[in-house]
Amino acid sequence: MGQALADALALVPALVTADADPEADREGLEKLCDWCVRFSPAVAVDAPDGLLMDVTGLAHLWGGEAALVADLLARLAGNGVPVRGAIADTAGAAWALARFPLDPSSRPDARESGRESRDPASATPVAARVRSVGAELAGSRLALTRVRDDELLVGPDWTISPPGAHRAWLKPLPVDALRPEPEAAAQLRRLGVRTVEQLTALPRAQLAKRFGMGLLTRLDQAMGEAEEALVFRRPVPPWFERLAFVEPISAPDDLARVAADACAKICARLEASGRAARRFELVFHRLNGTSHALTAGTALAARDPARLARLFAPKLEAVDPGFGIEAVTIEAGRVEGTPARQGGLTGETDTAEDFAGFVDRLSNRLGEDRVWRAAPVQTWVPEKAVAHAAPMSAPAGGWDPERPRPVRLFRRPEAIEATAPVPDDPPLFFRWRGRLHRVRRAEGPERIAQEWWKKPLADASPERVRDYYRVEDTDGARFWIFRTGLYGGERPSQWFVHGLFG
Amino acid sequence: MTSAPRLAALRARVAALESSGPALGVLPFGDARVDGRLAGGGLPLGRWHELGGEGMEAETAAAPAAFAARLAARAGAGAVVWAARRPDLHAPGLEQLGLSPDRLLFVAARTEAEILAAMEDALRAGGVDAVVGEVEDVDLVAGRRLQLACEQGRSTGFVLRRRPFGVRAGRAAEDGPSAATTRWRIACAPSEPAAGEPGLGRERWKVSLERCRGGRPGAWIMEADDGADPVRVVAELADRQLPAAHEDRRRAAG
Repeated sequence: MGQALADALALVPALVTADADPEADREGLEKLCDWCVRFSPAVAVDAPDGLLMDVTGLAHLWGGEAALVADLLARLAGNGVPVRGAIADTAGAAWALARFPLDPSSRPDARESGRESRDPASATPVAARVRSVGAELAGSRLALTRVRDDELLVGPDWTISPPGAHRAWLKPLPVDALRPEPEAAAQLRRLGVRTVEQLTALPRAQLAKRFGMGLLTRLDQAMGEAEEALVFRRPVPPWFERLAFVEPISAPDDLARVAADACAKICARLEASGRAARRFELVFHRLNGTSHALTAGTALAARDPARLARLFAPKLEAVDPGFGIEAVTIEAGRVEGTPARQGGLTGETDTAEDFAGFVDRLSNRLGEDRVWRAAPVQTWVPEKAVAHAAPMSAPAGGWDPERPRPVRLFRRPEAIEATAPVPDDPPLFFRWRGRLHRVRRAEGPERIAQEWWKKPLADASPERVRDYYRVEDTDGARFWIFRTGLYGGERPSQWFVHGLFG
Repeated sequence: MTSAPRLAALRARVAALESSGPALGVLPFGDARVDGRLAGGGLPLGRWHELGGEGMEAETAAAPAAFAARLAARAGAGAVVWAARRPDLHAPGLEQLGLSPDRLLFVAARTEAEILAAMEDALRAGGVDAVVGEVEDVDLVAGRRLQLACEQGRSTGFVLRRRPFGVRAGRAAEDGPSAATTRWRIACAPSEPAAGEPGLGRERWKVSLERCRGGRPGAWIMEADDGADPVRVVAELADRQLPAAHEDRRRAAG
């Protein structure tokens, strides 16, 4: 702790080090917090490396507190999260017991005042090693609070203080177990106050004067004489609904009906909260435990159950009920607030809704990437000038009207054999797809050079230019052709057809 | 009763039989030489029209696409849906033809059937005024379905006949019966820049109206126009300039 990296590496040359990433630590802790909801509905994140869980009245579900904490720790360990746990009457006491484990044989009333404060590093060597170079989630410990006999229960990596006994068990712990401010902790150490017992022996008024109320508050919170407010994390209610059936269903009509029911259920919830979603996943759970998922997306956020059911209807054919379907779940994704809209009075709204419905039907049938609107891209390269935008996206403007562009543009320019008289002239003849075209009129060139600023400068070359010409053959067919490279350059120039004007 | 009024009465009955539902109006070309040959004095809206190319254009379909884009852009103010299999349509080029990218929705289909299905759906959808589809062939059933979709959705369809590269289609297949209201063949024509100006002039096409319900076929040289009309007629081609193969059909139709 607080050790320089060089010193740590001198002691343990094979030390694995990682940069501190408090953001990622916090995120990891929140994920773990959400996971712990399966044990208790009230879990709070105790940054930077702990979780606090209210387990009041929950222990009987696991058959005792010891069974609960053992199950929790075993599950976490199975997921690769080394954790220490403690259950005590107050959050402060649980925090202390989780981080400063006690030996149960040491009776608190034995008054071992000379007892050394343990270095936490010796208790959790893995965690301490990581934290010396920046803590990771591996260092997190779990404290569990509880409200409810007198012996300290101790497991391999957990401690349970019996109800009402936490005061006695806190006494031999070092003052650091009280979560003091770093300055207060340092000063206490300087003054030779090492244990909680020594601290409690001192007059309160003097303590308050010297260390401020912070230390006393922490002491009272651990002892249970002051309230401590915990901010429990409430996971967002998921946009998820479930329909379970008494008898498994398999008839197509039943599937259509339950699909509509599921849509109606989720839409009613969306409606109640004034929201709408753009993606829905309907999952049919078969008797044998397998499932079949259908997805539907909408261009505009929707919560109309009838319209949603119509989107799912053509996909229901693909659902194989097997031995029967016992449950249907539906989940809404990309949920967003929707402005209140009044429909039905003006024809305009109906048309827009109708158009959105058509776009939804089409993109659900063909695939989302197959229905699109063209949007301009800021580039000079013709084949990259068009981006695919969502069908209902806001208008994005157009392209430069001064530069003629063909109606048909080939994805890959097609090489042609061309005869050009002078370096900078368009060709007189060219052969494309086995047919000879005689150029009657020509216009150009429009020079389009490589976008050198988008690539490493080493790749840039003045040779990578295209000179585009609009040419018309004797039949009147208009081509967009270009020549790559410069005349007399390193590579011989080559002609291509890139598009047709029609 | 003389033969002339009887013939007129018969024609009216045939026209009533052929067109189901009220007409949506027409898109005039702004030139009597063309509008005079089309029933109603312009390209009928709320119907579907077939456009083919000639020679190289039967495979690339660039000239028909340019022509269709100019017509589709003027068929209404709503959205234009363009369904195709090959991804060689270039939005900047279409914008220069008058089709703004904000109005244009592209549909990349995998099969011919998907294109036709998407066209039908688009024609029926509200807010869509013109639908362009690039297909090899439309049989009578599919054509009839397209027509019903046009009438229901009150929008105009354009079918670009486009052969896959390197496939030689029989002439018969291209001239077979069709449910289209009009059938056009578009070929590029040499442009004529203004006197003394270098480079290319405005795009010109040799446009043949091969088949037209309630109208007469014809052939013209047309030029791109920036005005309200989709194209400007440069010259009408004499009947003898029509290919001989189309002559028989013209008689049958006319």
